[in-house]
Amino acid sequence: MSEITLAGLEKRYGDTLAVEDVSVTIDDGELLCLLGPSGSGKSTTLRMLAGLETPTDGEIRIGDEDVTDRPAYERTTATVFQDWALFPHKTVLENVAFGLKMQGIGKSERRKQAREMLERVRMGEYADDDPMNLSGGQKQRVALARSLAVNPDVLLLDEPLSNLDKRLSEDMQIELREIHAELEETFVHVTHDQDEAFTLADRIGIMADGNLVQVGEPNEVYENPKNRFIEGFLGDTNFVAGEVERTTTESIHVETELGREVDLPTTGDADALAEGESVALSLRPEVLSIESTDVAGSDGNAEGEQATPVRTDGSTTNAVVGTVENVLYRGSTIRYSVAVEDTSVFVERTVADSGAFDAGDEIRISWDGADVLAFRDDGSRVDL
Amino acid sequence: MHRERLENALFRTGYLAILTFMLLPLAVVVVTSFAESGNLAFPPENYSLVHYRAFFEEMRWLSAFDNSLLVGVGTTITATTLGVTAAFGHEIDDGRAGQVLAPLVLIPLLIPPIILGISMRVYFVRAGFEASYLSIILAHTLWATPLVYFVMRSVFSRFDWQLLDAAKDLGAGPIRSFVYAVLPNVKHGIFVGALLAFIISLQEFVMALFLSSRSTETIPVVAWTEIRQSLDPMVSVVSTFLIIISLIAIVIATIATNLDWLSKQLS
Amino acid sequence: MSGTYSPSALPAPIARLWESLRERSRSKRALLLMAPLLVFELLLFVAPFLILLRISLTEGSQDLRYAPGTWSISGYGEVFSTDVLVNAITYSIMLGLLATAITVVIATFYAYAIWRSEGVVKSALLFSVVLPLLTTLVIKTYAFMPLLSPNGTLNDVLLSLNLISEPIQFVPGTVGVVVGQVYIVLPYAVLAIYSVLATMDWGIVEAARDLGASRPRSVLEVVVPQAMPGIIVATVISFAWSVGAYAAPGLLGDGQNKAQAFALVVEKRLLSNLQWEVATAYAVVMLLLMLVSIVLLTAALNYFGGEFEYA
Repeated sequence: MSEITLAGLEKRYGDTLAVEDVSVTIDDGELLCLLGPSGSGKSTTLRMLAGLETPTDGEIRIGDEDVTDRPAYERTTATVFQDWALFPHKTVLENVAFGLKMQGIGKSERRKQAREMLERVRMGEYADDDPMNLSGGQKQRVALARSLAVNPDVLLLDEPLSNLDKRLSEDMQIELREIHAELEETFVHVTHDQDEAFTLADRIGIMADGNLVQVGEPNEVYENPKNRFIEGFLGDTNFVAGEVERTTTESIHVETELGREVDLPTTGDADALAEGESVALSLRPEVLSIESTDVAGSDGNAEGEQATPVRTDGSTTNAVVGTVENVLYRGSTIRYSVAVEDTSVFVERTVADSGAFDAGDEIRISWDGADVLAFRDDGSRVDL
Repeated sequence: MHRERLENALFRTGYLAILTFMLLPLAVVVVTSFAESGNLAFPPENYSLVHYRAFFEEMRWLSAFDNSLLVGVGTTITATTLGVTAAFGHEIDDGRAGQVLAPLVLIPLLIPPIILGISMRVYFVRAGFEASYLSIILAHTLWATPLVYFVMRSVFSRFDWQLLDAAKDLGAGPIRSFVYAVLPNVKHGIFVGALLAFIISLQEFVMALFLSSRSTETIPVVAWTEIRQSLDPMVSVVSTFLIIISLIAIVIATIATNLDWLSKQLS
Repeated sequence: MSGTYSPSALPAPIARLWESLRERSRSKRALLLMAPLLVFELLLFVAPFLILLRISLTEGSQDLRYAPGTWSISGYGEVFSTDVLVNAITYSIMLGLLATAITVVIATFYAYAIWRSEGVVKSALLFSVVLPLLTTLVIKTYAFMPLLSPNGTLNDVLLSLNLISEPIQFVPGTVGVVVGQVYIVLPYAVLAIYSVLATMDWGIVEAARDLGASRPRSVLEVVVPQAMPGIIVATVISFAWSVGAYAAPGLLGDGQNKAQAFALVVEKRLLSNLQWEVATAYAVVMLLLMLVSIVLLTAALNYFGGEFEYA
């Protein structure tokens, strides 16, 4: 059993609070990604889990045991470090066999086990090499094999992919996923890269300013971010400032800097926002659809300024018209930056979509009101 | 937890004990210099400045002081000149000369001073200028140059040589470009190197003992002969002066660079 | 020198020629700058040693220090046939090994402590090494006399604590010689090891602990092998200087120490007995023995340093 419980974990260095409050239970066999910007306390949390830092408050339990004050060498965790920390004066095989040696396993047995582990990460042929002569990706594999060789209850990975180039990092993500599925061990993986976290994780824990803000499955975290920070951190989005104009039982009307009112449908909890309260609306590029105003005009749907929201099949559709300011080609997608009133909004299209726009074109941006997320001034999400 | 604490406590006790071992003997010397009695005892029973007064009346000590100063300055000049030019040459050289020079300069440091002292004495007697200031200066230069050389190599290797090329590109000749582009950036290094050369000469003892006569003897040599005859706090007074000079040198060198860097250069 | 031409503007072969000329003038200038030190080393280090070697191969002389122009190995014969001289070799090498072993162990520990400490503590520890390093041997040995002599401070403390019933004579004696010699070489050894440790990545020590190595074990497994270049330098310096120790046995030793320390014995042959052919032969023999010992020590350290094996 290696369910891990972190309860009220805190770490202070003098006056600075690196970790304020981290509480989470990690299931046996789960792959949890701790995701957050640098300085959010995710690495410190991992180091406390490894026993390399002692928490100033709180408790860590692995299985049924309280390991809070136990040093790293007495814990059943193994860490893959950011710079891999391979022993430079030992061969690749000796590196991998090191943990077994510390467990007192005899030379021939530990060499055999180390060799098997190297084969598993496809590094068997490098067993007698000097680890300093390996490439980044190879070092990464050796570090992984070294940590797995001790058969830890929990494997801790401290941004091990951040020193690899993008392509290699993506390959390794898939491989890590496979190794995890094969071993059915608990992994805790720290990263600042959203894509990496979404690819790997069973659950993602998002950290900000020393706190674990939200823990959940990737799609849950993405679709239901708990606060404005997470919404901003998980992906590019347009935040539009506004003020609640009026609320009805069906919708909340927000006057925005886009120069027009945005309607948010609500399931009845109209008290969620008071009239006059300021809010930030998140318009993610993937919920925005764009079309040329010419096309829209020829359909007869719009004449000049969009005066009223267009309603079809009962849902509220919001839309604005703006001018394309610049066009950014980003590989498979094209990003348009569009000036709307005093602010600007960006939207994306895949290259395959027909009808590219140029700077200066006037386009119409529309969305479904149900896809818009709203956040209060203190960052908390409005439950619509 | 208990084991961690015990280890921490042992670790701390260990290095504090060594710290004491390193500094206590020097503290003893300084404290005994203020003893009132003529017997060397630590801690002394009464304190006074009698031995300091006596020092300034003793001709032998005062002339030894002059000798040390003369030898020290001579060594500083020769060692700094040789060390800086050679390190500069080594830096701009990519040939084999530098690879021969580095170990050749280093080896004298690894040979016991007694053997160097013997070979130098035999050599200078044959060359006919035994027991002169020059022989001591040259011997000390052999000992001090490696330090200047390695300090300067470390300084030069960090220097951005594009500055020199830029100066030449702007029309400065080799000497002027060195003076204007290189010197201002490495003068701290030269200063620290020179300072170390001086201190090493001031403190060196075995070679000076083999190469000096009564008229050229340096302070450590006089101290040595005094101690072998009788133990009195006068030697502590002299030692205190030498320790203070080293102390000042360390402080100055630390201000010019930093202690960590200085320490690494001394190894 | 001024007015730099761009080689790319010239046809390729000319550009190459120009480049090689520039290279040559550059290395010539470099050689010119290195020449003074090179000449100095040849004149004051290599030449004296050749002369030392030459004198060791002459005959003895009744009225002169040696008989110039003669060839003989009688000096070497005397070195190996005289009990005093042979004993001194054994004694000095034993002293060297003992002082070196103690020094290197303490130095490794202290260098590690300096490496791991920060701020004021680190400065204090570094200072405690640099100050004795820049203090003359005479003071360094002299300071132990009031501390270790029979009526000295250490004996007073031990007596008042009732740990001993009568004073122990550390000085003059072998204990004093070893303590004094360790004190003399320790600063050099500490700095040699520290400068290597300073380049080391603390992460690999954490990795070792993470994989189950206790703290002492992680130091032995990871820190020591990594610090081995520094430890070797520390060993060489400690050993060479301790074998040739002059001040420590001369001041802190008893009659036996003084009669057996190589430096004091050779000094006597050189300055009192005026047997230069013996003294120089003795120095040559000692230097060779030291070289052999250093090679053996280094090889041993390299052999054991790579991979410690307890299982």
